Amino acid sequence: MSAPAQTALARPQSGAALRAMLPWVLAALAALILPHVVPGGFGLSLLCRMGIAIVFALSFNMLLGQGGMLDFGHAVFLGLGGFLAMHAMKLADAGWWIPLPALPLVGAAGGLAVAILAGWVSTRRAGTAFAMITLGVAELVVAVVLLLPSVFGGEEGLSGDRSSGPPLLGVDFGTQIQAYYLIAAWAWAAALLMWLYTRTPLGRLANAIRDNPERVGFLGYDAARIRLLVFSLSGLFAGIAGGLAALNDEIVTAGNMSPEASSAVLVMTFIGGVGTFWGPVIGAVLITFLSVALSTVTDAWQLYSGLLFVAMVVWAPGGISGIILAHAPVVRAGFAGRLAPAYAAMLPGFFLALAGTLGLAELGFRLQSVRNGASPRPVFGMALDPQGVLPWVVAAILLLAGAWLLRRAAPAAREAWQEASVMAQVQ
Amino acid sequence: MTLALHVTGLKKAFGPTKIIRGVELQVARGERHAVIGPNGAGKSTLFHLISGRLPSDAGQILLHGQDITGLAPHDIFNRGLARSFQVTSLFPRLSVFENLRAAAMRTHGCGHAFWRRLEGFAPLRRRAEEVLSLLGLERRRDVLAGALAYADQRALEIGVTIAGGAETILLDEPTAGMSRAETERAVTLIRRVSEGRTLVMIEHDLGVVFGLADTISVLAEGRVIASGPPDQVRGDPAVRTAYLGAAAETLA
Repeated sequence: MSAPAQTALARPQSGAALRAMLPWVLAALAALILPHVVPGGFGLSLLCRMGIAIVFALSFNMLLGQGGMLDFGHAVFLGLGGFLAMHAMKLADAGWWIPLPALPLVGAAGGLAVAILAGWVSTRRAGTAFAMITLGVAELVVAVVLLLPSVFGGEEGLSGDRSSGPPLLGVDFGTQIQAYYLIAAWAWAAALLMWLYTRTPLGRLANAIRDNPERVGFLGYDAARIRLLVFSLSGLFAGIAGGLAALNDEIVTAGNMSPEASSAVLVMTFIGGVGTFWGPVIGAVLITFLSVALSTVTDAWQLYSGLLFVAMVVWAPGGISGIILAHAPVVRAGFAGRLAPAYAAMLPGFFLALAGTLGLAELGFRLQSVRNGASPRPVFGMALDPQGVLPWVVAAILLLAGAWLLRRAAPAAREAWQEASVMAQVQ
Repeated sequence: MTLALHVTGLKKAFGPTKIIRGVELQVARGERHAVIGPNGAGKSTLFHLISGRLPSDAGQILLHGQDITGLAPHDIFNRGLARSFQVTSLFPRLSVFENLRAAAMRTHGCGHAFWRRLEGFAPLRRRAEEVLSLLGLERRRDVLAGALAYADQRALEIGVTIAGGAETILLDEPTAGMSRAETERAVTLIRRVSEGRTLVMIEHDLGVVFGLADTISVLAEGRVIASGPPDQVRGDPAVRTAYLGAAAETLA
């Protein structure tokens, strides 16, 4: 091949590389600016949680979306990474020279070590057997953690002070904004590494065992070995999230690795969408926001995130990123205008059903507290008595009417969508 | 001369049902060898045993004189034997190109690397492009394998099998379910990809078999009842009674 032809080939490649890096530059800029846009200490701590959740959800999707492995105990790697990082933080308290920014590395080592051990058992099998083994391993690890209070602090867990270690370049990370930038930097770097991994031979092999583990064997690879490697790397990144959680919260307990924590990461990853690399980022941001913002407003927030999860599984198994991905070509082809009226026609039904659902859920949660002797808190600013019949009837009617309207509007929306997507494909 | 494939005394039963009852099979290096036989003769099971998908009960399988009996599929592949499947077995959510690239990774030095970019393996990319054009699927390069038309999936099945450059190739009914024109295209493809390699294929279409094979082995009731050049097998009385039957009349 002649030299000019080679440069001609090289040029579009470097252009593509630049384009591929653009989201990362934008993400870094957003991470720099966000703390100055989001109000107050509450917003800042929310951003910190989002950063940790993003790393955790991305590490989970290395298994679920990219490798076809459903891990029911993923929080174990975050939790043990966090415990190990907390021990390192305590050593720093005791005068060892362990700079705080290195704690996520300690977490990574913890997550990796446990993932290798657990994976050695679980990755011999795929599919349902794998999922069940991870569930068992998770129960086992939590039990062991509670059995060894001298190492893991029992029910109270372990706590430390992130600012008592050696300051690095005059920064002691005592303030939340300093911790934020540390977490943001680590989250950005960990996410970038996980993205680069998807473009390596092992990353592609993970996709291959997701699609067809048997065929991989007839192409010279041991599927179990690929699973173990992917599982170990995923544990490493979950351990980074654990290290970040340890330095953010300054406490690690068995709750960090509980089945609830493991199902939370499944929910956020799935809602964001397992089919794309960036889907879990959306899910992590959204669910973290909902869990923090909604939990201050209502006791029923877990019910809402559960409902959202079920709705996604049933109607949009590709998650939010799946919806975006499906609509992108239609919007690009200029057919958004055709979809908008049909989608808008679904809104009244949607909002009615939503209002009904919220009403029923809030009434239900208040009924319990009123029976326990508390005075009823207002529902959306309205003083409703959960022991009366009328509020329940109204909420139920709202829900039923909304559902009926949705059913009526759905076929037209579906038809409009099919028409628009076919036309976008033809174009 | 070392045989590419030498199977002796191979047996396999599923519960009380004996499927393979002592198969003897010799495949010379570089030949195109067809395995034919009536339905239920055990052809696919024989392939599963040779390729390591199923463990055998007795017997020995030599690949270029090396014993591969009882090895796992990936170990057998790494000794130079690749196979295709009767029921298409691809990576449906990977593109055509990525299917071919994944298929060639093992033999192009990728290992399990997670610290090197896939794009950095230039010979791998060239090999995938080469097989892509061999299959005539250039225009389908970025289509997901699961979204391909049936005939294209069958072609990709062959492409995935040969992309790693294995010396010995087993094709399990590569033309099954194809139209006349598609079969002709597939035969041309098989002829090209088996150039300079050893090919063993299961095939029902006798037109394809007699046009392509240097040697034919006839499997009936778990045994090879005849093996030899097409003309010899065509005239074999045992084959006529056991298998060809009415078809033999038309061929004669």
